[in-house]
Amino acid sequence: MLEILFELPMNLLGLGISAFIGRFAYSGYATVASPNLLRLTFAFVSIAIGFALLAGGLFAGGYSQAVTTAGLVAQATGYFFIAFSHSLKSFDFAPPRHFLLVPLAITGFVIPGNSIEHLVRSISFILLVYVSIETIASYMQSKRTSTLMIGSGLGLLAVAELLSWYNFIYPGSFYLAALSIKVAGFGLMFVPFSKFGLASGLGRMNSQIGSGL
Amino acid sequence: MAAGYRTHVSIIADILFTAKQYSYEGYDSGATVTHLIRKANVPHQRLSSIVSTLTQSGLLYEDSAKYRISEKGIEFLRAYSEFKGFAETFGLRV
Repeated sequence: MLEILFELPMNLLGLGISAFIGRFAYSGYATVASPNLLRLTFAFVSIAIGFALLAGGLFAGGYSQAVTTAGLVAQATGYFFIAFSHSLKSFDFAPPRHFLLVPLAITGFVIPGNSIEHLVRSISFILLVYVSIETIASYMQSKRTSTLMIGSGLGLLAVAELLSWYNFIYPGSFYLAALSIKVAGFGLMFVPFSKFGLASGLGRMNSQIGSGL
Repeated sequence: MAAGYRTHVSIIADILFTAKQYSYEGYDSGATVTHLIRKANVPHQRLSSIVSTLTQSGLLYEDSAKYRISEKGIEFLRAYSEFKGFAETFGLRV
């Protein structure tokens, strides 16, 4: 009962934040027809669906495990789309090679084999570490504070996935902490939006200024 | 942000920005194809294709063999600037 009281609001908060970012990204795609904004839309819609399934899993009774796993798969898909967007760009400034090898180095540590949920969390962790490193590398070029916040938020999501994975070893010890860190990560990613004028961006959704480009 | 390559959307924005400069900012006669090629830095064949699309979309209009930005084009540039900032926040290009 205590878990539901804590998990439900956290998942709903995560759902709200990711749905909001996804909607803003879609308004950008509808306006300027940028493929990267479409990928961000897919990413955050998947993550929002994941949060909805995780919240629904709390009330799914005997299907709880299956619904929760489906939610984690949806979120891993979202992380994949963010990582995919990063993999399509190139840097004039290349991050140090050993820095980019971090996700590969820890792969052996996190890839488990005892459950689908376990495996999905591991994949999410690797994707998030990759995306976080790419975003921090972008920050090192642009020095934009908002990019640093997004990179830090993604890093927090990676920590949350690692703690959730650790929860399999020590059941019940880190799950709520992981969920809190995950929502804090999304919160950190949401902060930079205050300067984008959300109302104006969403208001353009129906105008389709750049349709046909 | 690295300037390694330009996306299709950013080339469109460069063309519109050039047309805007030649429509309002001291030049009120519009931009010639030469102006657009020079400022947007794209080959003639590609520029012709993009300009044709922009004209059909109502973002540019032709006036005596010169191109001027429309109100819709200015609105596009405003939105582009906003969403460019959004994408760059994620370390991405628009």
